[in-house]
Amino acid sequence: MSRLLIVFLTLFLKAEPGIAIQQEVGTLPAGSPQAQGEWVARHSDQRDTGRDGRVTFKMKLFDRQDRARERALTVLSKKAPSGDKSLTRFTYPADIAGTAFLVWEHPGADAERFLYLPSLARVRRIAGSEAQESFVGSDFTYEDIGGRAFDDYTYTLVNDTADNGASYTLESRARNAGARFPRVISTIRKDTFVVTHADIYGKRGDIQKVFDATRVERVGKYWTVTSMRMQDVGQKTRTELTVEKAEYDVGLTDDAFTRRELEKVIK
Amino acid sequence: MSQAIAAFIWRWRRVLTTIIVIGAVAFVPSANITKIDNDLTAWFSVKDPIYKDYARFRDEFGGTRTLIIAIEAPTRDRLLSADGLQLVEALTADIEKVNTVQRVSSLATATVIDALPATPGDDGGLDVRRLFKDLGRKTPAEVGARALGDELLRGDLISEDGTTAAIIVFFDEAKIDTVRPQVLAEIEGIVSRRTPTEFKAHLNGSLEITEAYNRVTLDNQRVFTPPIFLVTMLAIYLLFRSWKKTLLTLVAVLISVLWSLGLYSLLGFSYNVLSSMLVPLIVVLAIADDVHILQHFDHERRHGSKEAAFRSTVANLFAPLLGASGTTALGMLSLCTTNIVAVQQFGIGSAIGIMVDFALSIVLVPTMLGWLDEVTAEAPQETWFSAPMRWIGRFSSRNPWRVMAVATVITAIAGFGLTKLHVDTNHINFFAKSHPLSTSAAVIDTKLAGIYNFQVLLEGPPDAIKQPDTLKRMDQLSRELERLPYVRKVSSVVDYVKRVDRELGVGGAAGAARVAQVSDDPSVIAQELFVFGLADEGRVELERVTASDFSKAQISVKLASMSSDLVFEQIRVAERRANEIFAGSLVTPTVTGSGRLFSTLDHYLVVSQISSFATAFVTVFAVIFIIFRSWRFGLLAIIPNLFPVLAVFGVMGWANISLNVATIMLASVALGVVDDDTIHFISRFRRDTAGGMNSQDAIEEATASEGRASLTTALINSTAFAVLAFSEYKPTAWFGALLGLTMAVAFLAEIFILPATIMLLPGLFGADAVHAKRRARVKVGSA
Repeated sequence: MSRLLIVFLTLFLKAEPGIAIQQEVGTLPAGSPQAQGEWVARHSDQRDTGRDGRVTFKMKLFDRQDRARERALTVLSKKAPSGDKSLTRFTYPADIAGTAFLVWEHPGADAERFLYLPSLARVRRIAGSEAQESFVGSDFTYEDIGGRAFDDYTYTLVNDTADNGASYTLESRARNAGARFPRVISTIRKDTFVVTHADIYGKRGDIQKVFDATRVERVGKYWTVTSMRMQDVGQKTRTELTVEKAEYDVGLTDDAFTRRELEKVIK
Repeated sequence: MSQAIAAFIWRWRRVLTTIIVIGAVAFVPSANITKIDNDLTAWFSVKDPIYKDYARFRDEFGGTRTLIIAIEAPTRDRLLSADGLQLVEALTADIEKVNTVQRVSSLATATVIDALPATPGDDGGLDVRRLFKDLGRKTPAEVGARALGDELLRGDLISEDGTTAAIIVFFDEAKIDTVRPQVLAEIEGIVSRRTPTEFKAHLNGSLEITEAYNRVTLDNQRVFTPPIFLVTMLAIYLLFRSWKKTLLTLVAVLISVLWSLGLYSLLGFSYNVLSSMLVPLIVVLAIADDVHILQHFDHERRHGSKEAAFRSTVANLFAPLLGASGTTALGMLSLCTTNIVAVQQFGIGSAIGIMVDFALSIVLVPTMLGWLDEVTAEAPQETWFSAPMRWIGRFSSRNPWRVMAVATVITAIAGFGLTKLHVDTNHINFFAKSHPLSTSAAVIDTKLAGIYNFQVLLEGPPDAIKQPDTLKRMDQLSRELERLPYVRKVSSVVDYVKRVDRELGVGGAAGAARVAQVSDDPSVIAQELFVFGLADEGRVELERVTASDFSKAQISVKLASMSSDLVFEQIRVAERRANEIFAGSLVTPTVTGSGRLFSTLDHYLVVSQISSFATAFVTVFAVIFIIFRSWRFGLLAIIPNLFPVLAVFGVMGWANISLNVATIMLASVALGVVDDDTIHFISRFRRDTAGGMNSQDAIEEATASEGRASLTTALINSTAFAVLAFSEYKPTAWFGALLGLTMAVAFLAEIFILPATIMLLPGLFGADAVHAKRRARVKVGSA
């Protein structure tokens, strides 16, 4: 499953199939908790996220002393059968402004990642990251933001009574025994399939991280988590991510995701 | 006054005894020492600036009190095989799951940075990843070779020869001390289960050392208390030839110990390696008190009724016992002048224990002796020692010059030994060479980065750390620290900046040899750090070495185990150079970390013990002046008291036994024991001369009676505490052996030097001087 691209797409849960989802809300199939869990997970995973998007974020990183660092970034993303593409550019603070990433996903193969450092004025290739690793130095992992690779987990519906019956509680367990975060308990809205809360467990079986969607808005046709927070309970750090501006289906072409564009962006 | 007190105690002896026994029984649960607390706050006041520095550092970067596990393979090929690397990986993974473990640093979690080759369309790239990520696509030998080729890992997480790997465990220091024994036991269990027989696992580090101390403290209590009591019992029986008196003495000592420990607990004090000395101290002093009472009671009982014997014993011994106990207690109380919590608690606890022992003994022992109906025939100690002691008293009083000549020679030899005495607290050397702590230290010190560490904390405004000027100063300081003796590894954020700089090829033109350096351009550094922190491994590493807003950083210095005074010296050099190098910069350096804490603590202990011994000495003799109401006899008491302390430290100098956290306590204990004997001797001498005896007869009498009591006490205690010499923990063994020596020397000083001094200065201390003083007082009274 794609990583970076999905990061910015699946968070903005789409509304286009919302009608379909709304229709399916009442059709939670009877069956074992595992079958029901898989049904909920699949609906959450398969939401349409649009063809492409241009989103501006503000990221606040709080350390264990509660000191905050701010970063601003713009992400361009595009879905394609040949592989998703994204270009992330930091615009704040000044000393890293212009630093940019270009990611080309290749189905069934490693993604290609390129980094542009304005101080060097050169394009550097960087090695890929795992799904459960930090997303651009924040408390989010690529997986937290991009969504979990569906087949990497098994699912169990814990209950359908959360939020006074408005949400499902879903348990996801990693198939890989060595996973850094082997278990997640998520709260998923029944109407939009937005993940609004998640307790992410570590190897010791205790909660390591807590995710909260603090604001969910409809942007155009799409339901978008416009404010979210991830707390690392162990490290006592947290990251807040706020969407400043989101545009979908803006007609981005592959030309927006070239190495030349990576450099051109800040020139 | 003494007669009135004796009458009061006689009248209320049953009630008082009942209260004493009930109190002792009530204190049994709190005197049951099962938890030993050698934690930081047991030693350091939280207001201490050194502790505050450490707390500030710990808040930012986490604790530095670690557990180090060295996995030693028979050969390099075995360690760098699939089995060897899997062992490191499995141990790391299992230990990461243990409660309170915050982070595990090993080859399995190590981050490596490599340049990616240039391809058409880019100028190469950067790969920040976990070393073990390569195991899927490279052979274990290749991964091992990569680790050995990395100067950040080599010598730290893997030995230069590739046979030993380190697993360093960091804990949540806010929680670890409450569950340390269980957590360490769990990790030890994991290690022993996982490690195949051909590999050896060695555990060490500050937490393991602390835990070893706790185990030793408890073991010493458990293993040595029964034989000490048994030997004491046999010695008392041998000298008094009465099981009843033997049991009586033991019951009295036991009750004193229970009360002392109970009150110690009631005060909220914790038990540690220092307070474990409390029981030996109380036992020694209680036996000394009891033997005096026993001897006096026996003597009086032969000539009179139980009541007469009771009243005479209490009346005659109340003042000297009070004086002896009071001075000792004051000596111990002087330990409160230190700023070490454990020492303060020991001082207060032992002072209370000593006074409680006095109060209990003066009531309990004569009361219990009154219950015995046995004929108080001459005890063996009386039969055996009276005549020789009388002969010694005669010899000392008739040959004062000879005695003083021998004493002077011994003093000179001891004085020379004193010049050889060195201050050295090496916690590893305190254990036998075969002890796991010693063997593991040998492996970690020689093959890896050593078991000790300290840190330089750098603090400034936000972003100060990532300025080129700061990083270059850090680099300079790091290089200088690397050159200090015993320093085995120095690391900081500079290493990562330089590494990224080299791998990105910032320092040179494309194709040119890559140079690791700190750029002059702040934005280059900011972007290098940013890139490094993008990967999870890089982010974790950065959090370990610098604050997120770059207002703080640490330089970590690892060193081999050594004397804490040497560590202290290294730290002073590091502090001086850090201050010089960062002078005029945005950043303020502070040297801190567990190495600084523990070396400072040891330094404090030794220095404060020396100063508190001096305070005790002055205080004790001030009290003796008051007790005797005579400056002359106060002065007389100093000579036999200084001699044993000098002699014992001289022997330590000759025997190459260092002045350390354990042996330094001997001075205070010696003073406590010795001044008791002196007070008893001088009291008896003054009483007899006041009764009309001449100096020589009074000395003979005092030597025969009080000297005999001292000899009996010295024999009982020396024999009993000689048992401690078998302890695997050297300071305990030294303490036991040297305490015996102190008592022996103190006894000899009392029966030889004290009489000789009296005879050599008759105008000051002789019977005539006492008579003249008494006559003068009578005259003033009648006028």
